Amino acid sequence: MDAILTYIVNVVSLGGTYALLALGLAVVFSVLGLINFAHGELMTLAGYALLAGILLGVPFWAAVLAAVLVGGVAAVIMETTAFRPVRNANPATLLMTSFAVAMLLQVIFQNFISARGQAVPVPSLFTGSIAIGNAQVSIIQAISIVVSLLSLIALKVFFDRSRSGWAIRAAADDFETLRLMGFRASRLIAIAFLISGLLAGIAGVLWVMQRGSVDPLMGLKPVLAAFVVVVIGGLGSISGAVLGGYLLAAIEIALQTWLPEGLAPYRDSLTFVLVIAVLSLFPNGLFGKRVAEKV
Amino acid sequence: MNHSHHRRVTGALVAIAAGTLLLAACGSSGSSDSAASSDAAPAGESCTVKVGVATGQTGGLAYVDVPSLEGFDIWVDEVNAAGGIDGKFRVETIVKDTRSDAAQSATVAAELLGEGISFLITPGDADPSIAAGQLAQEAQVPAMSWFGSSPVLPVAVGDFMFSNAFGDNAQARVLANYATQQGYTTAYTLGSPDSAYTSNLPRYFKEAFTSNGGTVVGEGTYTMGQPNFNVIADEIKALNPAPDVIMTPAYEPDFPTFLKAIRGAGINTPVLGTDGIDSPTTLALGETAEGVVYTTAGVLANEGPMGEFFTKYNAKYGKDPEAIFAVTGYELGNVLNAAVTNAQSCDPVAIKDAITNLEGVQGITGTISFKGGDRMAIREIALIKVTGGERSLVEVVIVDPATVPAA
Repeated sequence: MDAILTYIVNVVSLGGTYALLALGLAVVFSVLGLINFAHGELMTLAGYALLAGILLGVPFWAAVLAAVLVGGVAAVIMETTAFRPVRNANPATLLMTSFAVAMLLQVIFQNFISARGQAVPVPSLFTGSIAIGNAQVSIIQAISIVVSLLSLIALKVFFDRSRSGWAIRAAADDFETLRLMGFRASRLIAIAFLISGLLAGIAGVLWVMQRGSVDPLMGLKPVLAAFVVVVIGGLGSISGAVLGGYLLAAIEIALQTWLPEGLAPYRDSLTFVLVIAVLSLFPNGLFGKRVAEKV
Repeated sequence: MNHSHHRRVTGALVAIAAGTLLLAACGSSGSSDSAASSDAAPAGESCTVKVGVATGQTGGLAYVDVPSLEGFDIWVDEVNAAGGIDGKFRVETIVKDTRSDAAQSATVAAELLGEGISFLITPGDADPSIAAGQLAQEAQVPAMSWFGSSPVLPVAVGDFMFSNAFGDNAQARVLANYATQQGYTTAYTLGSPDSAYTSNLPRYFKEAFTSNGGTVVGEGTYTMGQPNFNVIADEIKALNPAPDVIMTPAYEPDFPTFLKAIRGAGINTPVLGTDGIDSPTTLALGETAEGVVYTTAGVLANEGPMGEFFTKYNAKYGKDPEAIFAVTGYELGNVLNAAVTNAQSCDPVAIKDAITNLEGVQGITGTISFKGGDRMAIREIALIKVTGGERSLVEVVIVDPATVPAA
């Protein structure tokens, strides 16, 4: 029973972070058809902003808020400077641009901050654990569960209730028609990037609080995981990104928990085998639309 | 629309992969005709020692390679200001970035070997050093890793491959002996199959600790860069009997993550680490890292012979060195200095023979020898305890090679 409870806690905390990241990718994909590989660098940037805030001595909550905002603003700047000029080019160009932005930022972090990781002194209030039934849950895990769930709920409200949210969901279905109906593409794309950056900022803060350090390449692994999540969930599906996040976490944690130690080197390969299995049953992802091939 | 996006995205990814393979192939094809073309002046006559530096100035190994090169450059400036090694062998360095990637390390090494170098410096980790070292071996040019400490490195490459580091089997012996002295009889080890360093160190520790009469009660594995260590923490908590001590070669960013996870889960078992965590990041973890004990090349402190190095480093870079690797990088210069002095030549084979026979070369942290070893440096190992956010020295040990677990 404890093992199951512990498992669920681990899945929900990691899955929440994956869901936030994947949503960030999905929101941009729905308006631009672009998987933004520089998304991970927005996380890294938020991590450095959090560190800067702490070092400057501002209250922790203010540093967190600033870090999340930095993620959002940086995403909008990224869109206007890097992606807008190539917006109408083919998707491969956009993809290459996102790789270039990612590498550029990594090198900037390395050369202007440090190639080494920087410790982020999170207040000691956040180390320690609380008991839920017979299971111990670390405070940071509990925070990441609550924050990711709240963010997802807030986003759900935004998508259901606001005109922009509604428009982004519609864009995921058919952006061209939406534009014909009089929506300004630039505004919608900027909003999508802003949301995506804020989500990266939140995920970045949660990530750094768990890890205790921030380094120039920090965003690489999570963005790859988020990419897998988006593919499992179905490219362009927003609810798929959320469920995909929890599904990938469930697979990863199950393998970490129950895979015999001798098979440990195959853990990542097995994760991807399961992902391939899901995709061979659902070629468009779990929630992807079936699209008839145009001949 | 999405479908066609999807297809084009896939196409682009395939193109990237193909391009990368092609580049790698082009890079390594250059190696066959790159046999050392150093103009071998007769022994004793002045010549220029061309040193090729294949180093990770960017990427995951930059934390070792950047400070190492900074330290080495100080030595180069010094030695050339004095007219060269032994007053007549000037040193010229050619530096190329490997981006901390094994394939790129081989490409860069091939380019450097093509320029007729006498000596190759490889990154501070075994895997890229093996990739680069194999080409140097083929070209009969001696290669030395900044601080790759896996003893499989020289074995995998051959007699032209050296490392400026002590072996991981030696540092594991030091940790095991420390554990036994502290009265610990049970241990948990955490390693990762992702690198020679992280996979072999727990094995060496187990062998040494078992030979001392200790028992390893659990062995965990992680993936480098994994998001969190909560599952591992639960696994350690469930161990019966509970371990007296935890040993891991994990380094940043994994080490801080692991440490936060177990301390967060209320596990207060002492933790033993290895030289990869000798960085300001560990010290800056505050309360979490208090009491962590680890092995490294020396205590980085502005005093004694190292204080002199601090002054030189400050004069060139305007700051204090942050990692011991700046010191060991300079010491690699000391080793090259002794080898070329003994060889009285810029000929790669003569330099290699001289390195093999080096004994008691004076460095900053102590003396460095290769004679009688397995081409890993025989040098002092410092045992350090994190106390109040500072490094405090527990003891300095020179390990008897006979007691070291086999590579």
